[in-house]
Amino acid sequence: MTTYIIRRLLWVIVLLFLVSAITFVIFFALPSTDPAQLRAGRQPNPALVEAIRHNLKLDKPIYVQYWLYMKQLVLHFDFGYSYQNNISVKQQIFDRLPATISLALGAAVVWLVIGITVGTISAIKRRSVFDRAAMGGALVGISAPVYWLGLLSLFLFSNDIGKIHIFPGSGSYVPLSQDPAKWFTSLILPWFVLAASFAAFYARLLRSNLIEVMGEDYIRTARAKGLRERRVVLRHGIRSAITPIVTAAGLDIGILLGGAILTESVFNIPGIGRLAYESIQNSDLPMIQGTVLLGAFFIVVMNLVVDVAYAFIDPRVRYS
Amino acid sequence: MRKLWRLLPLAVIGLAALVVAGCGGGGGGGGTSTTGASGKTGGTATVLDFAGSIDSLDPGYWYYQTDYEEMGQTTQRWLYGWKPDDTKPRPDLAQGLPQISDGGKTLTIKIKQGIKYSPPLQTRTVKAADIKYSMERCFATSVANGYAAAYYPDIVGAPSAPTSKVPDISGIQTPDDSTLVLKLKKPVGILANGNALGLPCTGAVPKDYASKYDQGATSKYGQHQVFTGPYMIEGAGSGTIPKSGYQPAKIINLVRNPSWDKSTDFRPAYFDKIVIKNGSDPTVAARQVLSGNNMISGDAAVPPPAILKQGLTTRKSQFVSSPSGGNRYIALNTTVKPFDNVNVRKAVAAVINRNALRQTRGGAAVGTPATHFIPPQMPGFDEAGGNAGPGYDFYKNPDGDVALAKEYMKKAGYSSGMYTGGPVLAVGDNVSPAKQTAEAIQQQLKAIGINLNLREVPHATMLQKYCNVPKAKVAMCPNLGWGKDFFDSQSMIDPIFNGKNIVPSGNVNTAQANDPKFNARMNNAVSVTDPNQRAQIYGQLDKDLTGQVYYVTWLWDNNISFGSKNVNVVQNSFNGGAPDLVFSSLK
Repeated sequence: MTTYIIRRLLWVIVLLFLVSAITFVIFFALPSTDPAQLRAGRQPNPALVEAIRHNLKLDKPIYVQYWLYMKQLVLHFDFGYSYQNNISVKQQIFDRLPATISLALGAAVVWLVIGITVGTISAIKRRSVFDRAAMGGALVGISAPVYWLGLLSLFLFSNDIGKIHIFPGSGSYVPLSQDPAKWFTSLILPWFVLAASFAAFYARLLRSNLIEVMGEDYIRTARAKGLRERRVVLRHGIRSAITPIVTAAGLDIGILLGGAILTESVFNIPGIGRLAYESIQNSDLPMIQGTVLLGAFFIVVMNLVVDVAYAFIDPRVRYS
Repeated sequence: MRKLWRLLPLAVIGLAALVVAGCGGGGGGGGTSTTGASGKTGGTATVLDFAGSIDSLDPGYWYYQTDYEEMGQTTQRWLYGWKPDDTKPRPDLAQGLPQISDGGKTLTIKIKQGIKYSPPLQTRTVKAADIKYSMERCFATSVANGYAAAYYPDIVGAPSAPTSKVPDISGIQTPDDSTLVLKLKKPVGILANGNALGLPCTGAVPKDYASKYDQGATSKYGQHQVFTGPYMIEGAGSGTIPKSGYQPAKIINLVRNPSWDKSTDFRPAYFDKIVIKNGSDPTVAARQVLSGNNMISGDAAVPPPAILKQGLTTRKSQFVSSPSGGNRYIALNTTVKPFDNVNVRKAVAAVINRNALRQTRGGAAVGTPATHFIPPQMPGFDEAGGNAGPGYDFYKNPDGDVALAKEYMKKAGYSSGMYTGGPVLAVGDNVSPAKQTAEAIQQQLKAIGINLNLREVPHATMLQKYCNVPKAKVAMCPNLGWGKDFFDSQSMIDPIFNGKNIVPSGNVNTAQANDPKFNARMNNAVSVTDPNQRAQIYGQLDKDLTGQVYYVTWLWDNNISFGSKNVNVVQNSFNGGAPDLVFSSLK
């Protein structure tokens, strides 16, 4: 297992290297805008544009730029400075990371709890009123765009522009270290909005898996042995049916840790997603690189976590 | 300066503009005081930004509307400033307007004494040498100022290109602490009348303190700056701006500058504190502002149309509007067929239904159908014909005149009155409402047989890869606009129409207008120092240039601001109608 993990971690490094190279190539091969011109005023003076290009090292060949970037990154863990505000990329990413982690992990808890609970009950009580209502609701949850759902929740439940003043509204996020209670309450709406479609998808996925598993021979055997139904479902049914959920959860959480752009935008949560979006708008290459690498890092690490978790969930899986 | 998102260095001043019908133009509104002459002192204002907030902390970089609104006019003083309804520069660090001598080639400006810097330089007062250094650093590449090369090149010793280090400009002289002398190569009207000196480059930056931050590729002075205005960034008194005071694209906290002396300033600065929050969703933020307390719309000049429409019936008193000092136009590339023919261009002007185009942006509320280039409130506007315009028949009917357009097409050699060539390349915006405007133009031009091959791309791409690049050979750019930098029409006319400004990239003379006679008139106008004469000259230029239809100007934008019920939002005309945070107040 240890060898497997080390091998996978080495692949993480290779993958991140490739991602950084691809991002670089895309930025320069398919440029939609010139970062130097963007910073030279509305009537860009050609000499000033050239000077800015020189300052940003954009006048060097792309491979030289990439080499300089990687050298700083590898030797000093330095992601460079934003073209936009000349502030350290690393500093800005680490400033915003807690908000994204808070949002993603909190939402993950919500969608896993709801998705697994609803999916399990629906599978056990198939074709019941609960099942039909839950799966109908799940369909709505999957179909509803996050942006629309976010606006709707704010217009209904936020304490500033809502019809019923219950939860703090957009822009109310405070860091956990600053005020835990406000941190929690400010994230309730975003958590549920972000979790809605995931919870719906997970409930449907688990339901179908569990229905299939509950028809397996070993479930019949377990029942024949006289095990109580609760134990059959929880110990033998869910354990087997939940494997795809673990896979999906790992990937989803990894992706969201790289930024939940729409949710962060609607609720004005200063996280990585918004930072990435703003960086793309500003052609801010160092910041784009930083956020892309961060997103890729979370995805591959969560993949690894999922693979390792398999070994504990499914006795058939062994790494050697 | 423009509202401009950082992406679009152009006149978004206008871009936002949904004005409140009935709220009245000309700075009028439903609030209590439109000039901010009186107001309640105290309280905290929260400003919600939708679009992207400030571009930089460095005063030498500030050029766009949001920079001025949130930092320029609140935290720093310049040689000349602007009250909300001023159309002429008002002495701020300066004691009076420039004294002109030597046939207009020497400008002498006396500096007020006793104006102090914020901590940590609270014992220092502003000296003429500090303004000299502030102007000089605007030529350095580390500051990357966007207008110094355009407005200060005629100062003796000014570099012709940005320099790697802050230059020592011999023509900016400081014979004593209270006197600044500008030696010019020739008379320069926008310096003599003070307009181009009412910009952030003429603030105060103490050289001995700032020069160490100006070293290197990019200046770090912004993060260590000292302030002369009524407000400063919270915590900046340590000499470094802390996260609690400023976080990029997140928050700016402005508190009172303890060194600021109200008796030396025309700004009332009513609020005790100003909190600027960035990253708000427009729909949510607009509702928060309108239904909340102490809030002001920030860097977006208009709420989403649905909210505006609703607000105008239920919350009219919370909106204010005024002309933005900008316009919208269709650029016709005179080097590309069929627009190399002036009669085709006149036909386009005649067929365009300006009212219909205005409708794509929100209807009558967004502004006035334009009849020439210089917008209302600007010198030269009346001289060019005012609202009625110069009288050209192709601008007579704001609903368009197809019959007249066909007549011009016949004069252009198309006997049927219809264009017989192939599709014409046009590049426009791919987002609303500009996208709808471009598509409406595409439809309208079919009446004279012009079929546009319309490519819709992001705004910055449209400018940088197509419209502002002559070799791209784009025949028509339907989504352009321009706004004033100050109340002198040189900043409206010269960049757009003067052939000397045609460059391979970043070319804002999109039509590639390059008539030697007009070029000469514009070049000569630069040196005219008498304001009335300047208005006459630029008004006449506007008339004559409009007759050549390099651009079909179709709208003079309005700008709209709004606030919570308990806030008196005051707009600043110089700044395109953006909220003036030092004149707005709680009710």
